[in-house]
Amino acid sequence: MRKRAVKMVAAYLLTILFLLFLNFLLPRLLPGDAIIAMYSGHEIAMTEEMYAELVRMHGLDLPLHEQFLAYITQLAHGDLGYSYICHASTADLIMGALPWTLLLVGTSFILSAVAGIVLGVESSWRRGGRFDEALLTFMLLLDGIPSIALGIIALTVFCLYFGWFPSAGAMTPYSSVEGIGHIKDVLWHLVLPLATLTLSMIPGDYLLIRNSMMLTIREPYVLTARAKGIKKRRIKYLHAARNAILPFATRIGIRLAYLITGALFIETIFAYPGLGLLTYSAISNRDLPLMQGILTVSVLMVLLINIVVDLMYKKIDPRVENAY
Amino acid sequence: MKRILIASVILIASVIMCLCLLTPAISAAAEREVRIADKTGDWGNPSPYLSYARGPGYVRMHFIFDTLVWKNETAGPIPLLAEDWEYSPEEDVYVFNLAENAKWHDGEPVTADDVAFTIAYMKEHPYGWVVLDSVDRAEVIDPHTVKIYMSSPYAPFMEDIGGTMPILPEHIWKNVANPMDFVGDGAFMGCGPFKYADFNKEHGTYRYEAFDEYHLGRPIIDRLIYVKTGDPQMALQNGEVDFADVKPDMVDTMRARGFVVIEGPHYWNKKLMINHNREPLDNIVFRQALCYAINQDEFVDKSLRGHGKPASYGLISSESVWASPNVPNYPYNPDKAKEMISTLGYVMEDGVFTKDGKPLELQVLISMIGVGGQPTPDRDGEILKNQLEKVGIRIDLTSLDTKVVDTKVVNQDFDLAISGHGAIGGDPKILYEMTIQVPGSKPSPNTARYNESEELNNLFDDLMHEMDPAKRRAAVYEAQNVYARELPAISLYYPTSYYAYDPDAGVEWFYTIGGIAKGIPIPQNKFALIGDGASTGVETAETTAIETGTAAQSTPIAPGLAMIAILMAFVTLQIKLSKRKP
Repeated sequence: MRKRAVKMVAAYLLTILFLLFLNFLLPRLLPGDAIIAMYSGHEIAMTEEMYAELVRMHGLDLPLHEQFLAYITQLAHGDLGYSYICHASTADLIMGALPWTLLLVGTSFILSAVAGIVLGVESSWRRGGRFDEALLTFMLLLDGIPSIALGIIALTVFCLYFGWFPSAGAMTPYSSVEGIGHIKDVLWHLVLPLATLTLSMIPGDYLLIRNSMMLTIREPYVLTARAKGIKKRRIKYLHAARNAILPFATRIGIRLAYLITGALFIETIFAYPGLGLLTYSAISNRDLPLMQGILTVSVLMVLLINIVVDLMYKKIDPRVENAY
Repeated sequence: MKRILIASVILIASVIMCLCLLTPAISAAAEREVRIADKTGDWGNPSPYLSYARGPGYVRMHFIFDTLVWKNETAGPIPLLAEDWEYSPEEDVYVFNLAENAKWHDGEPVTADDVAFTIAYMKEHPYGWVVLDSVDRAEVIDPHTVKIYMSSPYAPFMEDIGGTMPILPEHIWKNVANPMDFVGDGAFMGCGPFKYADFNKEHGTYRYEAFDEYHLGRPIIDRLIYVKTGDPQMALQNGEVDFADVKPDMVDTMRARGFVVIEGPHYWNKKLMINHNREPLDNIVFRQALCYAINQDEFVDKSLRGHGKPASYGLISSESVWASPNVPNYPYNPDKAKEMISTLGYVMEDGVFTKDGKPLELQVLISMIGVGGQPTPDRDGEILKNQLEKVGIRIDLTSLDTKVVDTKVVNQDFDLAISGHGAIGGDPKILYEMTIQVPGSKPSPNTARYNESEELNNLFDDLMHEMDPAKRRAAVYEAQNVYARELPAISLYYPTSYYAYDPDAGVEWFYTIGGIAKGIPIPQNKFALIGDGASTGVETAETTAIETGTAAQSTPIAPGLAMIAILMAFVTLQIKLSKRKP
């Protein structure tokens, strides 16, 4: 038991180190001179001196292994770096964007999971029926539309044509409303991006649950339960779905990575001030420290969530305990 | 089952409640407010050193900080902090008389000391927009007169320094050792028409309040706000903002909906960079042949769908007050191009020119470069390839990331590259900067680095240092003519940019002649917001209706928690339910 725990911790540490190395290396492998790329759009008459100074400031004059060592040391001190493009510490920028992303992606995550599970279970129960076929067709269709297109359709219809919702941002800037009014304003701005993101996530959840349910409802114990005369709904959700949900838990583990960057397109279209938009601007400005900071945070988040999912497995399905 | 029912009822009820709350909370107007849309949002803190060194960053700052002189729609330089000025060629000195009623936002008077301090400070702490190498020192004559001694005659002074250098309050900045870190008290205090109220990096929003004691009169609006939007023209149509940039194809629609659309002057050019170190591009005749082979009108028609115009070959915009009236032109003539190329020893074989058995093949680098460096899909590469292949030049079109193209051009690892830059409508020193590799400076990806022409170098000397206006103008004209003959780079076209505003907001926006300050082609000149530039129907105008007062922008913890709590309650109930043994 203890041996296994040690093994697991070691595996995670190795993964972290490897990912941090990749994270360090990849931006440096981007073609083009990083300094020129970063400052080429700026109205700065760059002299050779300034260039040398910038190279030194970004630590790009050191050999690669020393750069990596400096990067790891800095990280170990909890310092994610300083974005010279934004004149702000990377950690502050990320912390500013994180709540918005959590609000948007987290909520849509829960909504789409609930909808996906319910629809998937119902659909599989009535497999071959009219309800199932219609829903399946609709979901496949929806799955085929990229979230970016959904966003644009939503904007055109509900913002431009009907004018019900605002086109951008997370709140009306500098409106004087506070308290309930402020919450209303935030929710009002949330509706369109949230709906778009949720709609784009539902098909995946739905299809997974439906498929996995298809297998479970053929199990003998389901037949037994039916023979016992247990109510249908109880069989569906307590007997079958409970067992069908395992692959879904795995999916959650993978999908939660999207908490960080998954909403990139949606956030960009709706100018929603979350991490996706921050990532987008970091990449387009070639803001190396910010890019690295975001990647580091996402890597750590994904691993953390993986641990949680690993542990959760045992709760969801005790059989996993014996699977090692 | 009951629990599921109860949970569902709670969920549905809460969703309905949320929906009921979702009506916009906007009440009647009390103050005049103007909102401007921006796609990027964050352009840095609005202080001289902290705003990003790009046009929009300068614009965010210029509402708060005034310069000595300024420009409006038709004229410049015109008085701003300086009431009048004089240049004495004998001494090589500028004398500025400052407005006596100018005040800092904290009520202190603006004096000659502040101007002298700013020059000294910016010489010590270089400021990206203003290069003060040509300025020796500033001397205070009396509280409202300052004398600026030049170290060498510098012809672009009025536009480049006088009209661009924001004056800093000495009583604040004298204690600031590192301007790049300074965000403390007074960091955003200037003497411009608007006072700094707020900047939110995360939301990309700016708020300015009118400065009641502004020396040129109180602004015509009370509050100016920048809002970040995903699609500015949609925000404008949706009534969220009063002013936004619009795409060329939307111009007619916007006009039909009652917005005033203003058309930008052509101060940005797409140009073909040329590597002068490679054969046959080092040959003037070959470069001229390229011009004959290039059909500028086709670019305008196909690439811009008509929203633009062919460029002058002399780099300076044909709409600039500095445009030479007789720049050599190269009307589209593929036959002439072929003829010229064959004089260089090339022979046409199977539709391709060859020399010593090798076909004439050039690589063209393309990227998504658009106005102001904004990424735009490239439509020019294929057009150029077609045109050049028609005259027997084989083209290898290579599409790369903009920054990679920039690096390749800087390292001279290219044949031809499609690139672009602005500032061709302002002071003609751009001609010098985009042609010559200035010693000691890092090569810019837009500079041709064409130092070999003696004639051009001499003309540039006059262009930069001739203080007699007539003589300078002659040199500028001639430099353009020589440039167009020798072709360090080939300008292709000028795209037209459009902005639209809601006339009911009461502000008549305009494009500044030659661009704001050094040549920023954004029609957000502060003069549109103070007396002179304002519209007449001010009294009847309605502004975007927002209550007065300020609200702190907080993170959405409360609504987020509420939403999540409701959902968690639902999930918990479900789990509890599932734990029950059947």
